[in-house]
Amino acid sequence: MAIKIFAAIDVGSFELELGIYEISVKNGINKIDHVRHVIALGRDTYNNGKISYELVEEMCSVIRDFAGIMQSYKVIGYRAYATSALREAKNSQIVLDQVRVRTGIEVQIISNSEQRFISYKAIASKDAEFSKIIEKGTAIVDVGFGSMQVSLFDKDALVSTQNLMLGVLRIREMMADVQVSAKMQNTLIEEMVDNELYTFRKVYLKDRQIKSLIGIGESILYLSRGSNGGKAVERITAEEYGEFYEKLLKMSVEGIQERFGVNAEYAALLVPAAIIFKCVLEITGADMFWIPGIRLCDSIAAEYAEETKAVKFHHDFSEDILAASRNMAKRYKCHGPHTSIMEKYVVDLFDSMKKYHGMGKRERLLLQIAAILHACGKFISMKKPSESAYNIIMSTEIIGLSHMEREIIANVVRYNGVEFDYSRMHLNEELFRNTKGELSKEDITILMAKLTAILRLANSMDRSHKQKLSDSRMNVKNGQLLVTTSYEGDITLESVSFSQKAEFFEEIFGIRPVLKQKRRLT
Amino acid sequence: MADINEIFNNPNNYVNRELSWIEFNYRVLGEARDKSLPLLERIKFLGITASNLDEFYMVRVASLKDMVHAKYTKPDIAGLKPGEQLEKISEKTHELVALQYSTYNRSLLPALKQNGIQVIVNHEDLNEEEGNFADNYFERDVYPVLTPMAVDSSRPFPLIRNKSLNIAALLKKKSGEEELEFAMVQVPSVLPRIVKFPKKEGEEQKVILLEQIIERNMGSLFLNYNVVTASPFRVMRNADLTIDEEEAVDLLEEIQKQLKKRQWGEAIRLEVEEKIDKGLLKILKRELTISSSDIFLISGPLDLTFLMKLYGVKGFEHLKAVPYVPQQVPELMNEDDIFTNIRKGDILLHHPYETFDPVVNFVKAAAKDPEVLAIKQTLYRVSGNSPIVAALEEAADNRKQVSVLVELKARFDEENNINWAKKLEKAGCHVIYGLVGLKTHSKITLVVRREEDGIRRYVHLGTGNYNDSTAKLYTDFGLMTCNPQIGEDATAVFNMLSGYSEPLQWNKLVVAPIWLRARFLKMIRRETKNAKAGKQAHIIAKMNSLCDKDIIAALYEASCAGVKVQLIVRGICSLRAGVPGLSENITVRSIIGNFLEHARIFYFDNDGSPELYLGSADWMPRNLDKRVEIMFPVEDEDLKERIIKVLLIQLEDNVKSHILLPDGTYEKPDRRGRVQRNSQEDFCEEAKLLVKAELKKLNPQASRVFIPNEGQS
Repeated sequence: MAIKIFAAIDVGSFELELGIYEISVKNGINKIDHVRHVIALGRDTYNNGKISYELVEEMCSVIRDFAGIMQSYKVIGYRAYATSALREAKNSQIVLDQVRVRTGIEVQIISNSEQRFISYKAIASKDAEFSKIIEKGTAIVDVGFGSMQVSLFDKDALVSTQNLMLGVLRIREMMADVQVSAKMQNTLIEEMVDNELYTFRKVYLKDRQIKSLIGIGESILYLSRGSNGGKAVERITAEEYGEFYEKLLKMSVEGIQERFGVNAEYAALLVPAAIIFKCVLEITGADMFWIPGIRLCDSIAAEYAEETKAVKFHHDFSEDILAASRNMAKRYKCHGPHTSIMEKYVVDLFDSMKKYHGMGKRERLLLQIAAILHACGKFISMKKPSESAYNIIMSTEIIGLSHMEREIIANVVRYNGVEFDYSRMHLNEELFRNTKGELSKEDITILMAKLTAILRLANSMDRSHKQKLSDSRMNVKNGQLLVTTSYEGDITLESVSFSQKAEFFEEIFGIRPVLKQKRRLT
Repeated sequence: MADINEIFNNPNNYVNRELSWIEFNYRVLGEARDKSLPLLERIKFLGITASNLDEFYMVRVASLKDMVHAKYTKPDIAGLKPGEQLEKISEKTHELVALQYSTYNRSLLPALKQNGIQVIVNHEDLNEEEGNFADNYFERDVYPVLTPMAVDSSRPFPLIRNKSLNIAALLKKKSGEEELEFAMVQVPSVLPRIVKFPKKEGEEQKVILLEQIIERNMGSLFLNYNVVTASPFRVMRNADLTIDEEEAVDLLEEIQKQLKKRQWGEAIRLEVEEKIDKGLLKILKRELTISSSDIFLISGPLDLTFLMKLYGVKGFEHLKAVPYVPQQVPELMNEDDIFTNIRKGDILLHHPYETFDPVVNFVKAAAKDPEVLAIKQTLYRVSGNSPIVAALEEAADNRKQVSVLVELKARFDEENNINWAKKLEKAGCHVIYGLVGLKTHSKITLVVRREEDGIRRYVHLGTGNYNDSTAKLYTDFGLMTCNPQIGEDATAVFNMLSGYSEPLQWNKLVVAPIWLRARFLKMIRRETKNAKAGKQAHIIAKMNSLCDKDIIAALYEASCAGVKVQLIVRGICSLRAGVPGLSENITVRSIIGNFLEHARIFYFDNDGSPELYLGSADWMPRNLDKRVEIMFPVEDEDLKERIIKVLLIQLEDNVKSHILLPDGTYEKPDRRGRVQRNSQEDFCEEAKLLVKAELKKLNPQASRVFIPNEGQS
């Protein structure tokens, strides 16, 4: 049967959710069942930093029921992702261990950037119009319970993405102790949101033209709900939204509960959400607001569908990650011909060594990003560029990458400049225990060594930053990686550097790189 | 506007639901008085009025008594306080009972005798031979199970079981002491109430009631005494019932607070024969602490529910209506399995004209089908040996996921429900025992099946319970569909019933308690708006009871705006119809026929693009606020047409329908110059014709005419 039944579990800050999906090449992704259970994990985490025992208990029993439902549909696979509530909880490891032991379900924590990224996949899978919309300036605004994400698209590519600590539950919890009238409270929230967004605009938005806004995240789903269980709103103009916003502010909590069919707890979260979207609409000046109705479960299914090639996407998501990296490189003034040729060299090296390094597509992408970002440290300090680059990468979210992957890249970039030291490898392991695609420390070290070796060699090939070897051809023969160039000028600098880096390369892959200048006989 | 609203909400414009219910029982009694009906059918209807009245007392009157004790004085929809309601109920029910017995004595007994069944009213009228037979029967079968009880200083007045029939007696010691003693014996409920005498060739069948035989032999129970007088009596208590869920929450709280004050086991109704000895009645009255208004002096046998048994006496089939055999469903008269047939298009089932078997088969087939992953169903009032329950067990055995919501709060059959629910649980089904604070009244079955092109969901939605026995007597609609939108909603319903959050949106189904009321009001007001805008506006609604104030007020408003409102309400109707300035555009009719009208159908004209819904909910506060109910649209044009036709035929019924007059009484429509129309009979005929037509299609030779196939097939 060409139809796969897949289950996605979202362990969110406010709800546990299970989605059952049918995935097929012919019909795409179809949700066939969807259950939700309200449980405020985020409240515990944001207030106490830990998730309490009672909630773990409740969580396990619900997830056990989820497992039962999954079984009844005979799903062939599942993914269970946990987001900010667990990501930030100090006891997340213990909690996830409990869940695993008691329910048999492996829950993985995904980083914010991964979470946001897969939601783009879901948007793309949801509507063919996605690619059309992002041709013009578009901002995807994802308001969650813990934080919000603003991503800018221009000419079919992701330009920039930023995470702001403006989640609705977080705002609500912050406001909980402020003793003011509801009206005053709304003004306060508005000020706070405005302030954060102002910085964002100054640094990232500049004079970009934003035509449309795509709203995702829990709260907008509720705000867009039709009255009395009816159809949800999908498209709305900025003007219409303004009217809606005014109306909403005048509603009592009871009124909100009734109109949007939510409980009191949820109702209290809708106003902050509405404020955030209003502010974003204002600062971006977008005039169309599209609400595709995406939930994290849909995103998980979309990611699975893409990875298992069960569904074809027109949009190239790796390209988005690269675009975001290139933009970052541009910001640190290191995006130039040298960086471009580095990208080419690492990819060429990677591809010609395919048989010998045993790495896949994802690693190729990481290598490419490392090449793009390899020189960003110089923006901070010419003296210690490696350390600076490491720090820059470690503190900048790159959409679509997990913490672990980002840390790998940061290290690869660092060791591009300093001696590679197997034993002194420093990793924030605890950050990526139980996360998606988790590797052991040893595996990570080997992977970093491999990537570093290639990056270094590539870097040596453009030592002079003059792209002398741009026409070089590479092939592996008799235990040697032969890099042949027909460049006729002087390549001494490259040659010297190349043979310096060749040693480490040979140490890692057992293949000796040799640089050969092809000279014309006459 | 303000004064208009006042009119819509004025209690004078509403009818108290209890009084309206009594009106309903009068209509049922009308069937017993209808000489055009076969005799035993009339007997059955009289029996029904008696059992109806019993239930009414146990539930409604008991509840009102509780309110009075709790000093709860909130007036009802018609502005009557509980005490006032009780007064009126007492008056009305006394009249009703008088009419029941005059019907029995003056009309039915003579007619029975004419038709060969003689009920011997008094044991004194037995001849010697019959007397001997009765005495023998007493000695052999009755005496061993009797427990005579005397009352004296050492033996207090016994607790008399609710609804039991007893014989009270005054005794005098044979030794000659003057003092009279009270004694009683319960008429055993394990023995048949009707005792048949051996029938002689060519003579009528003589029968006598059990209590007469016991009364005749009272003396042998109290050997050292002379029986001075003996008379049957029957008590009804509010002992074993909780508060009726229809009442307001604040009442429940009030009563909980006042729990101690509640008089458990209080007698709320005493029935005695009208010729009872004054002294005996006085003792009963004192011991049961019952007021005069709750005493019924009966001119005939107590507890007429035995008439339903009389209906079953063999050998008199000619005195009954010809039994109707539910017909096959044309869409299913083929070799394909039920799932294939549903895929061909939605299937409408009209019970009992069409058989309930497809519903049972649906569950059975799902239990066996290897591709079925899950079966989910709500069950409420299921018959004892339900084939559906058996099929669900089998499904669980076949490792399908079976979820069943069992409603335990169904009136009077909790115990029965618990038994088979436990059985299901043992078989491995996931059983949900109802929801806190809500009664699940919706009737829905969901079958999830894995097919070539993915998961497909088959849904059965109905207006009646999954009870194969009542499906032969209740008129209901069922819809079988695999419409993905309804399937998605059905899944959402079961997820909600399992305790998960509500779905983000509904496609087609409308669910109570959260959404249904608002939806009804919206649809009624849409008609009002259309009428005001000069467009056509029309509502036809059929249900069992109508007593929701918001809905009625909205209907009044609609009527005033010019909306044509035609209601078919079998039972309680708190709305006043045809009142100038209030409801002149509203008509209400009640159909009381051989089958119990049970379907809920709602038609809204919607400015020329009509919407038609079926559902499980009446327009009663309890259905809209305290129950899980489902209303579903019928969108297939042919099926919609069929149901609208059913409504129109019912509106034309002039044999079994009763029209509500502005004064709150009902009368049969004027038939002069019109063709008789009995809607239930018409539907029976039509179902037969449809089957015939289908058979003809299947077997073209039968018609001896060749039918050229002119379609391009």
